[in-house]
Amino acid sequence: MTSNPTTSNQATSSQTSANQMIESYFAALSHQLADLPQAKRDEVVRELRAHVLDRLAQPTPPTSDDCRAVLKAMGTPEEIARQYRVELLLKRSAWKIAPWSVLRTLSRWTLTGIQGYIVFVIAMIGYTMGIALYITALFKPLFPHNIGMFVSDHAINLARFPDPPPGTEMLGAYYVPIAVAAGYLFTLVTTVSIRGIVRKFGRLKQKISGIAVSAY
Amino acid sequence: MALLRKEPKSEPTEKWEAQLRKGCLELAILACLWEKRLYGLEILRGLEADSNLVLAEGTVYPILARLKEDGLLQSEWVEADAGHPRKYYWLTAPGRQKVVSMAQFWNGFAANLNSLLKPVLNGKGRS
Repeated sequence: MTSNPTTSNQATSSQTSANQMIESYFAALSHQLADLPQAKRDEVVRELRAHVLDRLAQPTPPTSDDCRAVLKAMGTPEEIARQYRVELLLKRSAWKIAPWSVLRTLSRWTLTGIQGYIVFVIAMIGYTMGIALYITALFKPLFPHNIGMFVSDHAINLARFPDPPPGTEMLGAYYVPIAVAAGYLFTLVTTVSIRGIVRKFGRLKQKISGIAVSAY
Repeated sequence: MALLRKEPKSEPTEKWEAQLRKGCLELAILACLWEKRLYGLEILRGLEADSNLVLAEGTVYPILARLKEDGLLQSEWVEADAGHPRKYYWLTAPGRQKVVSMAQFWNGFAANLNSLLKPVLNGKGRS
């Protein structure tokens, strides 16, 4: 190795560029996985890096060609990240009864198609209703005459300022627990129905991504 | 995304193959782990032994992650001589049950389909 300085230099520069290639690959992967939790992302990168290092382990230092071949066999960071999203993130939000995590996934998802947009609209309406009910429950003790279930001939109103809504208030102090329960119900039903749709389209997306892999 | 958009243009048989491959990959991965705990690359080597199951090596890892999330697999980082630790996977009790039932299903399924395909492959019947 040292007998011929030119070869040695070439080997070193090739190694450097091999390392750079690996670094930029995993930087890209980590960036692409931005919507996974930090710990999870680090673990994924660590695991895949171990794979690449194992693949490159050989008596001679790996050249940039070796490196390129190994990384090519891995698939692109975009592709791998997308697979992780499909396998993990949709499932995660599909299971959690946590509106914000569902919304976070969906807001990314809306970019990817009409079905995502429809779900997003459903989510916005459902959660807005839920939140509105919670808020009225919270403020009922402060504004007992403005908030409640006011039933008139035409409609049911929950709140109006500064004058109370038309109609008769039906619930009185019971409004608070009932509004909380109704708010919870809205949130729950919205989440559960989104969960169903996400799972359905999640499967669809898995199928598509399977095809994309083969295209790659 | 670009890949997604290209998708409708791909050949129907390719689509079918990709779906089939994807469906089988999960079973193949679980089956690899039947005997002992393995890390990702060992699983891949097990899959490569005969197959065109895997097209992009990296895609095995998201599936492993999901199988773990599903409670079929468990994993642990183990220090190795290589200088970096490796993540080993093994089947949990529900995982073992799942492989058995998947394998049984596959057996019946494949037997039926094979007998259906026999005339096609023999080229007999219609001329």
